Amino acid sequence: VSRRKILATRAALTLTPSAVNMIRTLLQDKPEYIGLKVGVRTRGCNGLTYTLDYTKEKEKSDEEVVQDGVRVFIEKKAQLTLLGTEMDFVETKLSSEFVFNNPNIKGTCGCGESFNI
Amino acid sequence: LLHAARGPGQALVCPPHTPAPVLPCPPRYSSASAQESGVHPNPNPTKAADTEDIVKLSKTCVQRLAQIMEKGEFLRISVEGGGCSGFQYKFSVDTQKNEDDRVFEQEGVGVIVDEESLEFVKGSTVDFTQELIRSTFQVLKNPQADHGCSCGASFSIKV
Repeated sequence: VSRRKILATRAALTLTPSAVNMIRTLLQDKPEYIGLKVGVRTRGCNGLTYTLDYTKEKEKSDEEVVQDGVRVFIEKKAQLTLLGTEMDFVETKLSSEFVFNNPNIKGTCGCGESFNI
Repeated sequence: LLHAARGPGQALVCPPHTPAPVLPCPPRYSSASAQESGVHPNPNPTKAADTEDIVKLSKTCVQRLAQIMEKGEFLRISVEGGGCSGFQYKFSVDTQKNEDDRVFEQEGVGVIVDEESLEFVKGSTVDFTQELIRSTFQVLKNPQADHGCSCGASFSIKV
């Protein structure tokens, strides 16, 4: 007797409400872009850093995350690194930034921009 | 229109007279010498006149400060030990001016640096950088900094 097996699938990236709002605001007056693309790059004192760009199209190898109507794409290279990460947008009087709360990382730089896994 | 009002060359350089509204900037070791001599302490008046002893504000920094700061609020820059390269910059909002603070004003906005931190940041430019991933204040072109972290928050000094 075979039963249908339900596999748990989790989104590779979750967005906090503030991140969703910010992305929506960013894309509002830019109809040519369909979403944002998150990537990682070798840089910084701890090895890796996140990159964020507008994107016009979904590339084949990109992982697509749709949440509350906004689309975020993850570069192939960054997919393993980012798995399970929460993307947040933090705004203070002096700065505003997207913050990635990544459960995979082993260490970060003091400023939080650079990390290793 | 805005550009014309600002005038050429004025955007980056603090006009020389700006420190004037600040209290006359007594050196922080003044109390010791005052006790001994009893006269008004001003052992080294030319030191403050050093033209490189200032912090410049970039155009974007001035614009952003004008947007976010209310009257009487200043951007305070201090240097602390820490970060991956030894020293790091700290930015905060402050309404208090202390005795050992220097204020750099430009077009109605002001940046406060205390004397000790100024030693590490003098001659550099405060900028507000805006990118998609983050927008934040940064200290750029610091002549004292040897090499820094990629994020610009931390730096080491030239020896």
